[in-house]
Amino acid sequence: MSARTADRPQKWGNPFTYFVALLFIGVCVAPVLYIVVGGFRTNSQISTSPAGLPEPWVISNYLNVLKSVTFWGEFVNSLVVALASTVGTVVLGLMVSFVLARYDFKFKGAMYSLFAAGLMFPMVIAITPLYIVIKDLGLVDNLLGVIVPQIAFGLPTTVIILVPFLRAIPKEIEEAAAIDGTGRLGFFFRMVVPLSLPGVVTVGILGFIGSWNNYVLPLYVLNSQANFTLPLGVQVFSSQYSVDTARVLAFTSLAMLPAMAFFAAFQKRIVGGLTGAVKG
Amino acid sequence: MTRKTRRTAAAAIALGITLAATGCAGSDGGGSGGSSDGKVTLTLWENAQPGAGAEYWKAAGAAYEALHPNVKVNIQTVQNEDLDGKLQTALNSGSAPDIFLQRGGGKMQAMVQADQVQALDLTDADKANAGAAGIAGYSIDGKVYAMPVDTQPEGIYYSKDLFQQAGITTPPTTMPELQDAVAKLKAIGVAPIAVGAKDAWPAAHWYYNFAVRECSQDTLKKAAQSLKFDDPCWTKAGEDLASFIGTEPFQQGFLTTSSQQGAGSSAGMVANHKAGMELMGNWNPGVIASLTPDQKPLPDLGWFPFPSVPGGQGDPAAIMGGLDGFSLSKKAPKEALDFLRFLVTTEQQKEYAKAFVAIPVNKEAQAGVTEPYNVSALQAFNKAPYSVLFLDTEYGQNVGNAMNTAVVNLFAGKGSAADIAKDTNAAAAKG
Amino acid sequence: MSNTLGTEPADGHQSQGTPGAGSAASSARPAPAPAAATRRRRGRAKMRFEIAVLSGPAILVFLAFVIFPVALAAFYGFYRWHGYGPPTDWVGLNNYKLILTDPAFQQVLWHTGVILVLSLLVQGPLAVGLALLLNQRIRGRSVIRVLIFLPYVVSEVIVGTGWSLMLQSNGALNDLLRHVGLGFLQADWLADPDLAIWTLLGIISWKYIGFAVILMLAGLQSIPEELSEAAQIDGASYWQIQRRITLPLLGPTIRIWAFLSIIGSLQLFDLVYIIWGPYVAGTAGTSTMAIYMVGQGRNAGNYGYGSAIAVVMFLISLVVALLYQRFLLRRDLQGAITEGAS
Repeated sequence: MSARTADRPQKWGNPFTYFVALLFIGVCVAPVLYIVVGGFRTNSQISTSPAGLPEPWVISNYLNVLKSVTFWGEFVNSLVVALASTVGTVVLGLMVSFVLARYDFKFKGAMYSLFAAGLMFPMVIAITPLYIVIKDLGLVDNLLGVIVPQIAFGLPTTVIILVPFLRAIPKEIEEAAAIDGTGRLGFFFRMVVPLSLPGVVTVGILGFIGSWNNYVLPLYVLNSQANFTLPLGVQVFSSQYSVDTARVLAFTSLAMLPAMAFFAAFQKRIVGGLTGAVKG
Repeated sequence: MTRKTRRTAAAAIALGITLAATGCAGSDGGGSGGSSDGKVTLTLWENAQPGAGAEYWKAAGAAYEALHPNVKVNIQTVQNEDLDGKLQTALNSGSAPDIFLQRGGGKMQAMVQADQVQALDLTDADKANAGAAGIAGYSIDGKVYAMPVDTQPEGIYYSKDLFQQAGITTPPTTMPELQDAVAKLKAIGVAPIAVGAKDAWPAAHWYYNFAVRECSQDTLKKAAQSLKFDDPCWTKAGEDLASFIGTEPFQQGFLTTSSQQGAGSSAGMVANHKAGMELMGNWNPGVIASLTPDQKPLPDLGWFPFPSVPGGQGDPAAIMGGLDGFSLSKKAPKEALDFLRFLVTTEQQKEYAKAFVAIPVNKEAQAGVTEPYNVSALQAFNKAPYSVLFLDTEYGQNVGNAMNTAVVNLFAGKGSAADIAKDTNAAAAKG
Repeated sequence: MSNTLGTEPADGHQSQGTPGAGSAASSARPAPAPAAATRRRRGRAKMRFEIAVLSGPAILVFLAFVIFPVALAAFYGFYRWHGYGPPTDWVGLNNYKLILTDPAFQQVLWHTGVILVLSLLVQGPLAVGLALLLNQRIRGRSVIRVLIFLPYVVSEVIVGTGWSLMLQSNGALNDLLRHVGLGFLQADWLADPDLAIWTLLGIISWKYIGFAVILMLAGLQSIPEELSEAAQIDGASYWQIQRRITLPLLGPTIRIWAFLSIIGSLQLFDLVYIIWGPYVAGTAGTSTMAIYMVGQGRNAGNYGYGSAIAVVMFLISLVVALLYQRFLLRRDLQGAITEGAS
């Protein structure tokens, strides 16, 4: 009896697993696929048969978007914002996490609570006063007006993921470094940075994707089309050209591509990083 | 000593951030231009659709630049639904454009009270160009705060072809006739009336027009001061609307239909003969033209005034309408006023009327209006004993917003006629 | 939903913050007292300097762009203010009184509650089940992982645009239903007030379940395999092992996921704003607290009132988070939010 039950999952479990996995993947992917494939259809195809397949496939929608200056301008803006925000969040976050994880001082607890409480402040809550702060710094309609607040709002997540990572670095390594005459800062650069890489990558990917997809802040801060990021671009494009559904779909597909590629390239790291952070 | 170190470090960091921030702050939009080297940049926000309207603004800017080489006109198109919100934050933050679209009414009053717009110093020639009615619409206590460019009598736009197919011979003049037309259009399988309820205000305009019929001019005016909506006519107008909605005259899924964005929008439905009628202001022909398959004006478009409602306190010939005009923000340079003057010259007004298929304020340019729907609208406008500004504009952003939301609720069957007055009264407390 | 992991190692590195290099040396081997004292003093100064340099920038940016705006919102919340010029019309707690008595706000709370509870009930079991399935050795695991995470990676704007196209009454979903002979199921998915919130819930589940599954998978992978192997040898069945060993050990992950999901539900904005726009979400029955805030604040031009709503939202989030932490997350978070790191 025991042998039989133990074997059973392996015997029939596999096809069943595949079936469920495929079903689930289908549900996840189908809507995205609809957007991508829809970009290969013409408007009349879409309006006569909304759920059909391209017949024939047309690539002009995609070519038109790829040829448009607007798309590439917004693409570059998104890229600049995402990279700068990610680097900023990771660098500042790593520094402060190091302090929180490995220094002992009076206000440590308060400092950690401060950052952790930041989780309760989504950007949308503070958006109006935040806008006023950004304006006072003269950063309205400037990419920095998106980047710097994004760094600030990215810090709580970063701190919470990285502190456990940095704590887990064995004390012996630090002591060894100290005996070798390396100061704590040297220890930080030579040992901590490489050792916390899995966590850093996780934080970086989440930050990059979050920035790539951020909508509310650019909506408030950026005014002129030349400064728009892709989510704003998608929205403006889809209202300006919504006569041209196929082109909207093509634009939308191309806009999501980079975040997807970025994630696909680093997906192993994400699960690895989360495993470190979750610690069952 | 350590304290000092820490403070110095913090200061250095703060300085670094400030430097980085200001160093890269090459803002290229939104703000007004300085005129240090004699070159002036004027930033202007308008809400044109892509197409002829947007082209007009580019051309007008270029024409003005040609006349005044020291001025650069920077036109920024802001999507209509985003305009009010963006403008408010921009005004509040001192990053306002020099010239911006002014809707008038309570919205303009709020800006005037906050000292955010310039009073315009207009010559008699300017006043003649812009027309007395338009100037009056933008005046508070004898001062003019915006230059009108077009007048927007509201009424029902319809497709003559669809009316003919449905066997409707004359445009409806009373509510029973309108209901009859609705039934006939349903019979030929098109949506009788398109409404972009997703944007709230197009649905609310139905309520406004019933209110213009039900409430006396005096009641409407008083409400603008007191912001109290206790007169029974407000509820009566809601009941009229509720019973009209009961006949299901609007297209399917109107709650998620926007008004101007694309072929699926209410204007798009009229442009593509998917719907027979739409209640709108005078900007509609231009919007419809940008949404027809060939992006040309709809050839069979007609116009009739909002039908009369028996027993109402309002004059049956009274008309609802708005104005499009442009205000100057407080720090706009003097060249901005000159540009406004340029906009109401006969030549520019003719171009404007052609591009937007609109009714210009300039009387000489009005003579050039030939489109049948504009001719009907202009006639009705000239015949009307008085004209009422769109209520959400008239009563200001806060109250207007609440009224619009309450009307949308009524459309969706979620509220009663009495709720409109109740919700609107409640909103007055919030702002 | 925010993509964060509020975790603190549960195994109590209580005083892991190791003392500075100088004092470490002094405690290791007793040295002549005066020298040690100078060194300690110099060490402490150096340490303070390091702390300032390392944490200064983050704290500065965080205070300026997160804490200060929130404090500012609390300040504006006491004024009737239209956003032009500085606020002058002090109304005390009146804004808060209006919010709490506004039927529209009560409705919003109800929607938020429904979304919060049902998100947990729908996504939780599904995510655990799928993670258990996918944790088995099957081919193409990494491809599967990428694909199920796809909806999470795609931005809310794109998801919203895509779904609204598909769900229009003349859109792809109704067309599909008609083609497969399920025409009677066609509906106005977005505009029907009885249906819209379920549609929203469906989209939310679709969008965020990938994150839940990935999180659960990560949790499962940190459970030592020896445990279930030992149980198997003792004759436990597959389901017994999952129920008695895996699930309890997955507990912390599930509780953290639930926490993030709750915070996400309380702050839901983008998707609703994109699909329903700024005006009709309330009518369609899908408005959330943030939508109410933007509608009553920015759209109505009532910046004071809107700020007060922000404060209410923040307080609700905080109370829920503290309660949750107090009663469920105690062991996992170890006071990350209230008591700090030490």
